[in-house]
Amino acid sequence: MIPLVKNEMIKMIKKKRFYVILLVLVVLVPMFAYAQLKVSMNSQEKYGDDWRRQVQQGITDNQNSLGSDRVPEEWKKYRKIYIQQMKYYLEHDINPQQTGGVSFTREFLNNAATLFIPLLIMGVGSDIVSSERTTGTVKMLLTRPIRRWKILLSKLITLLMFVSLIVVSAYVICYLISGLFFGYGGFNMPVLTGFVLNGAEVDISGVHAVPQWEYLLMQAGLIWFVSITVAMLAFMVSVLVRSTAASIVIMMAALIAGNILTNMASAWTSAKYLFMVNLGLTNYLAGSPAPIEGMTLGFSLMILAIWAVCSLFVSFLVFTKQDILN
Amino acid sequence: MNSTSRIWTTTGLISGVSTVLLLCGFLYAVKDIMNPLGAPIFDEQTRQESVLPTPEIESVLDVTAIGDSLAKGTGDDTGNGYARRTVQILKERGDQSKLVNNLGINGLTTAKLIPLLDEKGVQYVLKQSGVILLSIGGNDLFQETEKFQSGGELPTEMELEKSVTEASENFKQIVKKLVDINPDAQLVYVSLYNPFADLEGIKEIGNKAVTHWNSLAMQTMSEYKRTLVVPTYDLFSNNGPLYLSGDHFHPNGEGYQSIAERIVQGLGKSVVE
Repeated sequence: MIPLVKNEMIKMIKKKRFYVILLVLVVLVPMFAYAQLKVSMNSQEKYGDDWRRQVQQGITDNQNSLGSDRVPEEWKKYRKIYIQQMKYYLEHDINPQQTGGVSFTREFLNNAATLFIPLLIMGVGSDIVSSERTTGTVKMLLTRPIRRWKILLSKLITLLMFVSLIVVSAYVICYLISGLFFGYGGFNMPVLTGFVLNGAEVDISGVHAVPQWEYLLMQAGLIWFVSITVAMLAFMVSVLVRSTAASIVIMMAALIAGNILTNMASAWTSAKYLFMVNLGLTNYLAGSPAPIEGMTLGFSLMILAIWAVCSLFVSFLVFTKQDILN
Repeated sequence: MNSTSRIWTTTGLISGVSTVLLLCGFLYAVKDIMNPLGAPIFDEQTRQESVLPTPEIESVLDVTAIGDSLAKGTGDDTGNGYARRTVQILKERGDQSKLVNNLGINGLTTAKLIPLLDEKGVQYVLKQSGVILLSIGGNDLFQETEKFQSGGELPTEMELEKSVTEASENFKQIVKKLVDINPDAQLVYVSLYNPFADLEGIKEIGNKAVTHWNSLAMQTMSEYKRTLVVPTYDLFSNNGPLYLSGDHFHPNGEGYQSIAERIVQGLGKSVVE
C-alpha cells in the first residue's frame, strides 16, 4: 500500500499542480491584503486610533437601516445580529476590527472557506483519476498485479494528504504575506465566539473569548472538514467523467451554484440538504447566521459527511467494476 | 537518499503533521460550538469591571449629534445634515472642530432614546464631545400625521396634546441623563418646527402643539447650566417649499444649512478664547 501512495505522491509533486496552487495563493493574497490596507487607512483617517467610535457608528448605521422599509427582512436579521455582537464587543472593550497579520488571516480564510479553498482543492482533486485516462496511463496502472480498489485507495490517501497540505499552506502563506502589511502580531488577541442564533435573536449566554490562535486552529479544522468533503466529491467526479476539463467544470458549477444559492435560497428550505449550501462551517464559529433557518453545525456536518461517504461509495463501486476501454 | 525518497519523506511528514493538527482543530471547534458553555471568561464580576476608558476631549467644539432623523440628516441630499454642516461652519471660521459621531437614528422617539443613553458605546462617544446636538420629539408628535399624509385620520388636538405631555416627561429624563453623562459639554437642543405650516387643516393644531412642546422643552433645558435651545420654528413658517425636502417633513440641504448657522450663532464666538 505505502509504495502505491508514495508513487502517487511523487506523481502529484512532479506534475507541479501543487506548486500552481501555492503560486495562486502567493499572487492573490497580496492583492487582498493591499485592499484591506486601503480600507483600514481610510477609517484611520476618519476615526484616528479610536476604534470604539468607529464601532459605535457602525451600530448606529445598522440601526438606521433597520427602520427602513426598503431593506429586506432577511438583511435586517443579519444586521440585528451584527448590532448585538458589536454591542457585546464594545461592552467588553474588545476591538473587533483590530488589524494585524493574524486578524487578516482569520478574516481572509473566513471568506475563502466556501469558494476559494474548495477551488484550490479541486485543482488537485478533479483530475487525479481522469488525467490518467486522458493520457492513457491508467492502463499501465491497472495491468500491475494489484487489486483495483487498492489503486484507487492510494489515490484517495494522496488526495487527502494534499488537502491537509493545501489548508495549512493557505494559512502559512496568508500569514506570512499579510504580516508584511499589518505586522505579525495578534496571536493572543481575544476573539469572541459562541453566539447562538435563535431566529433573529442572538443568545449570548454561551459567549466566551478565546485567544486568536485557538480561534484560527478551530477555523482551520472546520475548513479542513469542508475541504475533505469537496475533495471526495471531486474524486468521484474524476472517476465518473473521462475528461479532466469536464470534471473541473462540473465541480466548479456545483460550487458556484452553492454560493449563489446561499445568497438567495432561504425561501427554498430543502436546499439545505445540498452539500454546497453547507460549506460555510466557519459561520457557526463566527456567529453569522446560517443561510437557511434550522441549519446547525451538527446538521451541516452530517450532510457533508453523508455526501462524502456516498461519493466514496460510488467512486469505488464504479472504478472496480467499469471497463477501461480507451 | 535519492530525490524521490526525499520528496516522499518530507511531503509525507509535513502532511501527516498537518492532518493531525487540523483534526485537533476540528474536534476542538465541534466541541466548542456544540457546547459553548465550556469556558465563560466573563463572569459577572469582570463584566462589572470592564468599563470603557474615559476618553480625552480634543476640542471643546467637537460635535456629536444624537436623536432622530433630523440629527441624522435625513432629507439632505449631500448626507451632511446639520451635524456635519455645523462642523464645516466652525472650521471655516477657524475653530478646531470635528464630528465625533452622528448617532441619529431615523424614527427615534423620546421613549426609545432613553435606553440608548444607557449603552456604553453611546456614553463613550458623548463623553468626548464638547458640543452635543440633540434633536428629539418630532416623531412623538408627528408619527400620527404620517398616517394623515397617506390618507388616514387627522390627529385631533386632544391626541396631540397628550403626545406632548407624555413626550415632555421623557424629555426631562433624557436631558438629565445627558447632563449626567457629560456635564461639561454644551448641550444644544434643536427645537421643533411645524412641517405642515402650509397645509390647511393641520396647520393650526400643529402650530399649537409645536409651540407648547418647544416651551416645555425650553423650561426643561433652562434647569441646567451649559444648555442651549436653538429655535427653528420661525425658519420653516414661511419657507416650507424652500427648506423642506421632497418628503415634506424633513429639511433639505438648505434647511439643514440654516439650522447649522443658527447652532453656530448660538454657540457664540470662539469659545476657546
